[in-house]
Amino acid sequence: MAKKEKIVISPVTRIEGHAKITIDLDENKNVEDARIHVTQYRGFEKICEGRPYTEMPALTARTCGICPVSHAISSTKACDNLLAVRPPKAGRNLRRIINLGQIIQSHALNFYHLSAPDFIYGFDAQPEDRNIFKMMQTHPQMAKEGIRLRAFGQKVIETLGGKRIHPTWIVPGGVSHEITEETKQTILAQIPEALEIAQKALKYYTDNLHKFQKEINSFANFPSLFMSLVNKKGNLEHYDGFLKFIDSEGKVLEEGIDPRFYKEYIGEAVEEDSYLKSPYYKPLGYPQGMYRVGPLARLNIANACGTPLADIEFEKFKNLNNGKPVLNSFYYHYARLIEIIYGIERIEQLLNEPETLDSQVRAHATINRNRGVGCSEAPRGTLFHDYEVSNTGIITGVNLIIATGNNNLAMNAGVKQVAQAFVDGNDIKDGALNRVEAVIRCFDPCLSCSTHALGTVSSKIEIRDSKKNIIQVLNRN
Amino acid sequence: MRVIIGFGNTLRGEDAFGVDVINQLQKYFKEKASENTKLISVFQLTPELCLELLEAKEIIFIDALYSLDLKYTLACDIKQDIKGTNLSHHISPKIIISMLKDLYNCSFTYEIFSMTTCNFEEFKENDKNKEYKNCVKKVSSFIKDNPSFS
Repeated sequence: MAKKEKIVISPVTRIEGHAKITIDLDENKNVEDARIHVTQYRGFEKICEGRPYTEMPALTARTCGICPVSHAISSTKACDNLLAVRPPKAGRNLRRIINLGQIIQSHALNFYHLSAPDFIYGFDAQPEDRNIFKMMQTHPQMAKEGIRLRAFGQKVIETLGGKRIHPTWIVPGGVSHEITEETKQTILAQIPEALEIAQKALKYYTDNLHKFQKEINSFANFPSLFMSLVNKKGNLEHYDGFLKFIDSEGKVLEEGIDPRFYKEYIGEAVEEDSYLKSPYYKPLGYPQGMYRVGPLARLNIANACGTPLADIEFEKFKNLNNGKPVLNSFYYHYARLIEIIYGIERIEQLLNEPETLDSQVRAHATINRNRGVGCSEAPRGTLFHDYEVSNTGIITGVNLIIATGNNNLAMNAGVKQVAQAFVDGNDIKDGALNRVEAVIRCFDPCLSCSTHALGTVSSKIEIRDSKKNIIQVLNRN
Repeated sequence: MRVIIGFGNTLRGEDAFGVDVINQLQKYFKEKASENTKLISVFQLTPELCLELLEAKEIIFIDALYSLDLKYTLACDIKQDIKGTNLSHHISPKIIISMLKDLYNCSFTYEIFSMTTCNFEEFKENDKNKEYKNCVKKVSSFIKDNPSFS
């Protein structure tokens, strides 16, 4: 009698953090189910209890070596909320600029270093050819441009924050010091080159899209809700603004939500087989309330980007589904590249605002509230820091909803969809398994962040039968 | 130009080894400024670090190496085996070296100085043990006493 089997991909490669995928096969060796399991645990919410609130931006930034700026931004915003202050305009502008630097460098790394090998060589290329080393040999100019573009984002962070990783310049009430005209000019001088590279990358991606129709159709391509921040005009917003939910037809479910009240709209489910939380849209319940965040969601929700070149590309993006939300997660890459262009243009705009060089960059106060919520858009989506403190400012409770966690339900649904489209249990090909990983790469998850990594990455695929017994193990490295 | 890179997480115990060696060397080079030596301390290696190494004729990487058996053993590894296909947001000296050679046609020599340890827990400055401090001192002295290894 035929048995059910299970395939396990562990760890998932070319992502940040540790995860594995299991694929259940039925008696006929067709894919029955597939899931992503996040196998690392960090416990930041508990670690932070008992610490003074002033330590939170530095502590929580340590959640991640990739997006420490995003954590510092949300954390300091939560602290602003505890102090009941609003940073001066210069402080807000400078926070916006460093946040965009973070988004640019992270997006650039995902596109050039993690995902581009799939676009260049195809998903069926041999694993030894499907990596950055091969890319350096065959596409050296593109590889160099990837380095330059990421360096631009990193330089913005370093120039403002003093160092590229874990800068301590972003503080409760604003930033620790103003910038000079010289600093402004240093960044402005790099903008033309960064913009040129970003536009070239987008052209490369759109010129090659026709090669990936099957992936476009099956890479987490399904109806879901979308959530992001928008500004008062309903445009793209990464630092402040209001939460907005839309459905897959573009119908507005909620808008104008003050992020401090996120708990009224977002529930958090925990599943037995993963350390990653599964947030959901509360009114629809779990798991029906699945929503997506990140670049695709942001562009689906926004009315416009608000900068000239990005808006030209935004119009083309909107036309992909005749103005309705784009449901294919393969287009996360598309949205990511448009956001890079937006980020560069927006940094230029912000630097050229006269108030940005103002010397008043920080508001000072003591604890005025016992609960504070900070929310911003990280590269991967909406990030929430929610702190409770004593009257003396000691942290008594922390809740973090990390961008990647918001996408957990959608990533799982995407993994299942791709596995069903490409994996044949009778003839398991590496290209099929690479696609299962690649759908996760579309979301650019940061699992180190979202489980709030330790250990050595090994790469293996386990095949399990209907009784969940492992019957075969394949190495992925 | 000689570029010396110490990398590691200073919050994770003796993972700070590379950074501590750089701190030690900085004291020395403050007194004897040398235009031919550049010191870099970083949390982790990232691709854009290449852009700071384009002029280098000699690159020295300094890092802590996980080992349960060999504690506080110093090693200098010059063999490079670039096979891994997995890549994340931070990279290894191997990838940096490969990028410099393949993308930028750079010609340079390189060394990797490592100290073996299994202590990646947090410790206070005063708690750093003698063996650790001795290793930092030895490597920094060895580097400053040898202006070139090529």
